[in-house]
Amino acid sequence: MLILARKIGEAIAIAGDIKVRVIDIKGGQVRLGIEAPDHVAVHREEIYQRITEENRRAAEAPGDLAGIDGVFGKGGPPVKK
Amino acid sequence: MLSRAKNLTRDENVNETSTQDARQQEELLWVETSRFGRLQVAADKVIAMTAPFLGFPGSLRFFLKPHAEDSPFMWLQSLDEPDLAFVVIQPAVFNAEYRPQLNAAVRADLGISSESDHEILVILTIPRGKPREMTANLLGPVVLNVARRVGRQVLLDPAVYDPCWPVIAAEKQK
Repeated sequence: MLILARKIGEAIAIAGDIKVRVIDIKGGQVRLGIEAPDHVAVHREEIYQRITEENRRAAEAPGDLAGIDGVFGKGGPPVKK
Repeated sequence: MLSRAKNLTRDENVNETSTQDARQQEELLWVETSRFGRLQVAADKVIAMTAPFLGFPGSLRFFLKPHAEDSPFMWLQSLDEPDLAFVVIQPAVFNAEYRPQLNAAVRADLGISSESDHEILVILTIPRGKPREMTANLLGPVVLNVARRVGRQVLLDPAVYDPCWPVIAAEKQK
Protein backbone atom coordinates (compact mmCIF):
# COMPACT_ATOMS: atom_id res chain seq x y z
CA MET A 1 0.00 0.00 0.00
CA LEU A 2 1.22 3.45 -0.92
CA ILE A 3 1.11 5.83 2.03
CA LEU A 4 1.38 9.58 1.44
CA ALA A 5 1.29 12.49 3.94
CA ARG A 6 -0.87 15.44 2.85
CA LYS A 7 -1.75 18.80 4.43
CA ILE A 8 -5.05 20.63 4.18
CA GLY A 9 -5.51 21.84 0.62
CA GLU A 10 -3.10 19.32 -0.85
CA ALA A 11 -4.25 16.53 -3.13
CA ILE A 12 -3.36 13.14 -4.53
CA ALA A 13 -3.71 12.54 -8.26
CA ILE A 14 -4.74 9.08 -9.49
CA ALA A 15 -4.32 8.16 -13.15
CA GLY A 16 -4.34 11.75 -14.32
CA ASP A 17 -8.09 12.34 -14.13
CA ILE A 18 -8.88 11.64 -10.46
CA LYS A 19 -7.99 14.00 -7.62
CA VAL A 20 -8.49 13.40 -3.93
CA ARG A 21 -7.97 16.60 -1.91
CA VAL A 22 -7.83 17.04 1.85
CA ILE A 23 -10.42 19.74 2.57
CA ASP A 24 -10.37 19.77 6.35
CA ILE A 25 -9.14 17.82 9.37
CA LYS A 26 -11.13 18.17 12.57
CA GLY A 27 -11.63 16.02 15.64
CA GLY A 28 -10.14 12.85 14.19
CA GLN A 29 -12.14 13.19 10.96
CA VAL A 30 -10.81 14.05 7.53
CA ARG A 31 -13.00 15.66 4.88
CA LEU A 32 -11.98 14.72 1.37
CA GLY A 33 -12.97 16.30 -1.90
CA ILE A 34 -12.96 13.89 -4.81
CA GLU A 35 -12.89 14.90 -8.45
CA ALA A 36 -13.40 12.02 -10.86
CA PRO A 37 -14.89 11.47 -14.33
CA ASP A 38 -18.54 10.35 -14.57
CA HIS A 39 -17.66 6.75 -15.34
CA VAL A 40 -15.75 6.36 -12.07
CA ALA A 41 -18.08 5.35 -9.24
CA VAL A 42 -17.13 6.93 -5.92
CA HIS A 43 -18.81 5.68 -2.74
CA ARG A 44 -17.94 5.28 0.90
CA GLU A 45 -16.41 1.84 1.39
CA GLU A 46 -19.24 0.82 3.75
CA ILE A 47 -21.73 1.06 0.87
CA TYR A 48 -19.87 -1.61 -1.09
CA GLN A 49 -19.67 -3.77 2.03
CA ARG A 50 -23.38 -3.27 2.68
CA ILE A 51 -24.33 -4.34 -0.85
CA THR A 52 -21.91 -7.26 -0.72
CA GLU A 53 -23.49 -8.49 2.52
CA GLU A 54 -27.00 -8.02 1.17
CA ASN A 55 -26.12 -9.89 -2.04
CA ARG A 56 -24.73 -12.79 0.01
CA ARG A 57 -27.87 -12.93 2.15
CA ALA A 58 -30.12 -12.74 -0.91
CA ALA A 59 -28.22 -15.60 -2.59
CA GLU A 60 -29.16 -17.96 0.26
CA ALA A 61 -32.81 -18.20 -0.81
CA PRO A 62 -34.00 -21.81 -1.06
CA GLY A 63 -35.12 -22.94 -4.50
CA ASP A 64 -38.69 -23.76 -3.50
CA LEU A 65 -39.32 -20.36 -1.83
CA ALA A 66 -41.63 -22.19 0.57
CA GLY A 67 -44.60 -20.08 1.57
CA ILE A 68 -44.02 -17.44 -1.08
CA ASP A 69 -47.31 -18.02 -2.91
CA GLY A 70 -49.94 -15.60 -1.75
CA VAL A 71 -47.42 -13.57 0.21
CA PHE A 72 -48.96 -10.44 -1.24
CA GLY A 73 -52.35 -11.45 0.15
CA LYS A 74 -55.36 -13.17 -1.31
CA GLY A 75 -55.65 -12.72 -5.04
CA GLY A 76 -51.91 -12.30 -5.44
CA PRO A 77 -49.94 -9.14 -5.95
CA PRO A 78 -51.51 -6.04 -7.48
CA VAL A 79 -50.26 -6.97 -10.93
CA LYS A 80 -51.90 -5.24 -13.85
CA LYS A 81 -52.34 -7.62 -16.73
CA MET B 1 -43.78 -2.82 -18.39
CA LEU B 2 -44.93 -6.02 -16.77
CA SER B 3 -45.62 -7.65 -20.09
CA ARG B 4 -42.07 -6.85 -21.14
CA ALA B 5 -40.75 -8.86 -18.23
CA LYS B 6 -42.57 -11.87 -19.59
CA ASN B 7 -40.41 -11.49 -22.66
CA LEU B 8 -37.37 -11.75 -20.44
CA THR B 9 -38.28 -15.22 -19.32
CA ARG B 10 -40.51 -16.64 -22.03
CA ASP B 11 -39.28 -19.72 -23.79
CA GLU B 12 -39.62 -19.02 -27.46
CA ASN B 13 -38.23 -22.33 -28.63
CA VAL B 14 -41.52 -24.14 -28.92
CA ASN B 15 -43.63 -25.16 -31.90
CA GLU B 16 -40.86 -24.61 -34.42
CA THR B 17 -40.50 -26.52 -37.66
CA SER B 18 -38.00 -29.36 -37.79
CA THR B 19 -35.32 -27.42 -39.66
CA GLN B 20 -35.58 -24.55 -37.24
CA ASP B 21 -35.47 -27.08 -34.44
CA ALA B 22 -32.15 -28.38 -35.66
CA ARG B 23 -30.70 -24.90 -35.92
CA GLN B 24 -31.96 -23.84 -32.54
CA GLN B 25 -30.71 -27.02 -30.93
CA GLU B 26 -27.24 -25.65 -31.55
CA GLU B 27 -28.10 -22.49 -29.69
CA LEU B 28 -29.22 -24.21 -26.52
CA LEU B 29 -26.95 -24.39 -23.51
CA TRP B 30 -27.05 -26.86 -20.68
CA VAL B 31 -26.71 -25.16 -17.32
CA GLU B 32 -25.99 -26.88 -14.03
CA THR B 33 -27.82 -25.31 -11.09
CA SER B 34 -27.84 -26.40 -7.47
CA ARG B 35 -31.49 -25.41 -6.92
CA PHE B 36 -33.14 -26.50 -10.16
CA GLY B 37 -30.91 -29.28 -11.46
CA ARG B 38 -29.79 -29.28 -15.09
CA LEU B 39 -31.58 -26.70 -17.21
CA GLN B 40 -31.59 -25.90 -20.90
CA VAL B 41 -31.27 -22.24 -21.80
CA ALA B 42 -31.43 -20.63 -25.23
CA ALA B 43 -28.11 -18.92 -25.94
CA ASP B 44 -29.90 -15.71 -26.88
CA LYS B 45 -31.52 -15.56 -23.43
CA VAL B 46 -28.20 -15.25 -21.67
CA ILE B 47 -27.61 -11.88 -20.02
CA ALA B 48 -23.99 -10.70 -19.91
CA MET B 49 -23.22 -8.60 -16.85
CA THR B 50 -20.81 -5.76 -17.52
CA ALA B 51 -19.62 -6.02 -13.91
CA PRO B 52 -19.99 -8.88 -11.43
CA PHE B 53 -22.33 -8.67 -8.45
CA LEU B 54 -20.46 -7.45 -5.37
CA GLY B 55 -19.35 -10.50 -3.43
CA PHE B 56 -19.60 -12.81 -6.46
CA PRO B 57 -16.70 -12.00 -8.78
CA GLY B 58 -16.87 -15.38 -10.56
CA SER B 59 -20.21 -14.90 -12.34
CA LEU B 60 -20.88 -12.71 -15.35
CA ARG B 61 -23.45 -14.77 -17.30
CA PHE B 62 -27.00 -15.09 -16.00
CA PHE B 63 -30.47 -15.89 -17.23
CA LEU B 64 -33.94 -15.16 -15.90
CA LYS B 65 -36.17 -18.03 -14.91
CA PRO B 66 -39.75 -17.50 -13.72
CA HIS B 67 -40.33 -18.93 -10.25
CA ALA B 68 -43.70 -20.32 -11.25
CA GLU B 69 -46.40 -19.61 -13.78
CA ASP B 70 -48.03 -16.21 -13.09
CA SER B 71 -45.66 -15.61 -10.18
CA PRO B 72 -44.14 -12.12 -9.95
CA PHE B 73 -40.93 -13.69 -8.65
CA MET B 74 -38.09 -14.58 -10.98
CA TRP B 75 -34.70 -16.19 -10.47
CA LEU B 76 -31.59 -14.56 -11.84
CA GLN B 77 -29.51 -17.71 -12.15
CA SER B 78 -25.78 -17.72 -12.84
CA LEU B 79 -24.45 -19.85 -15.69
CA ASP B 80 -20.98 -19.68 -14.18
CA GLU B 81 -21.72 -20.79 -10.61
CA PRO B 82 -24.45 -23.42 -10.04
CA ASP B 83 -25.06 -22.17 -6.47
CA LEU B 84 -25.58 -18.55 -7.37
CA ALA B 85 -29.12 -17.32 -7.97
CA PHE B 86 -31.01 -14.27 -6.78
CA VAL B 87 -34.75 -13.86 -6.42
CA VAL B 88 -35.69 -10.74 -8.36
CA ILE B 89 -38.92 -8.90 -9.00
CA GLN B 90 -40.14 -5.89 -10.91
CA PRO B 91 -40.38 -3.17 -8.27
CA ALA B 92 -43.65 -1.87 -9.76
CA VAL B 93 -45.32 -4.95 -8.25
CA PHE B 94 -45.02 -3.45 -4.76
CA ASN B 95 -43.70 0.09 -5.11
CA ALA B 96 -44.97 2.18 -8.00
CA GLU B 97 -42.88 5.17 -6.92
CA TYR B 98 -39.53 3.44 -7.28
CA ARG B 99 -38.09 4.90 -10.48
CA PRO B 100 -34.42 5.59 -9.83
CA GLN B 101 -32.48 7.86 -12.14
CA LEU B 102 -29.53 6.23 -13.85
CA ASN B 103 -26.40 8.28 -14.30
CA ALA B 104 -24.64 8.83 -17.61
CA ALA B 105 -21.93 6.28 -16.85
CA VAL B 106 -24.46 3.48 -16.31
CA ARG B 107 -26.42 4.50 -19.41
CA ALA B 108 -23.26 4.46 -21.51
CA ASP B 109 -22.11 1.14 -20.05
CA LEU B 110 -25.39 -0.59 -20.90
CA GLY B 111 -26.15 1.31 -24.12
CA ILE B 112 -29.30 2.86 -22.68
CA SER B 113 -30.59 5.88 -24.56
CA SER B 114 -34.25 6.14 -23.57
CA GLU B 115 -36.60 5.26 -20.73
CA SER B 116 -38.11 2.42 -22.72
CA ASP B 117 -35.05 0.36 -23.55
CA HIS B 118 -34.17 -0.79 -20.09
CA GLU B 119 -35.72 -2.75 -17.27
CA ILE B 120 -35.05 -2.43 -13.56
CA LEU B 121 -35.32 -5.44 -11.26
CA VAL B 122 -34.70 -5.50 -7.54
CA ILE B 123 -33.10 -8.33 -5.61
CA LEU B 124 -35.13 -9.77 -2.74
CA THR B 125 -33.70 -11.17 0.46
CA ILE B 126 -36.14 -13.79 1.69
CA PRO B 127 -35.42 -15.22 5.16
CA ARG B 128 -35.79 -19.00 5.18
CA GLY B 129 -39.26 -19.94 6.40
CA LYS B 130 -40.28 -16.30 6.81
CA PRO B 131 -41.22 -15.08 3.35
CA ARG B 132 -43.34 -12.25 4.74
CA GLU B 133 -40.17 -10.71 6.15
CA MET B 134 -38.66 -10.35 2.71
CA THR B 135 -36.77 -7.16 1.96
CA ALA B 136 -35.94 -5.52 -1.35
CA ASN B 137 -32.55 -4.06 -2.14
CA LEU B 138 -33.58 -0.67 -3.50
CA LEU B 139 -30.03 0.67 -3.15
CA GLY B 140 -28.49 -1.85 -5.54
CA PRO B 141 -31.00 -2.70 -8.29
CA VAL B 142 -30.23 -4.74 -11.38
CA VAL B 143 -30.50 -2.72 -14.58
CA LEU B 144 -30.96 -4.61 -17.85
CA ASN B 145 -30.81 -3.52 -21.44
CA VAL B 146 -33.33 -6.06 -22.65
CA ALA B 147 -32.57 -5.82 -26.37
CA ARG B 148 -28.81 -6.12 -25.94
CA ARG B 149 -29.04 -8.73 -23.20
CA VAL B 150 -26.61 -6.87 -20.97
CA GLY B 151 -27.00 -5.74 -17.40
CA ARG B 152 -25.37 -4.92 -14.11
CA GLN B 153 -26.04 -4.14 -10.49
CA VAL B 154 -26.05 -0.39 -9.99
CA LEU B 155 -25.28 1.45 -6.76
CA LEU B 156 -27.64 4.35 -6.14
CA ASP B 157 -27.57 7.11 -3.53
CA PRO B 158 -27.45 5.56 -0.03
CA ALA B 159 -29.04 8.73 1.39
CA VAL B 160 -32.19 8.00 -0.65
CA TYR B 161 -32.45 4.22 -1.11
CA ASP B 162 -32.63 1.41 1.43
CA PRO B 163 -30.80 -1.90 0.80
CA CYS B 164 -33.22 -3.68 3.18
CA TRP B 165 -36.62 -2.24 2.30
CA PRO B 166 -39.46 -4.25 3.90
CA VAL B 167 -41.73 -5.33 1.05
CA ILE B 168 -44.79 -6.62 2.87
CA ALA B 169 -45.08 -3.79 5.38
CA ALA B 170 -45.07 -1.34 2.52
CA GLU B 171 -47.66 -3.38 0.66
CA LYS B 172 -49.99 -3.26 3.65
CA GLN B 173 -49.69 0.49 4.03
CA LYS B 174 -51.13 1.11 0.60
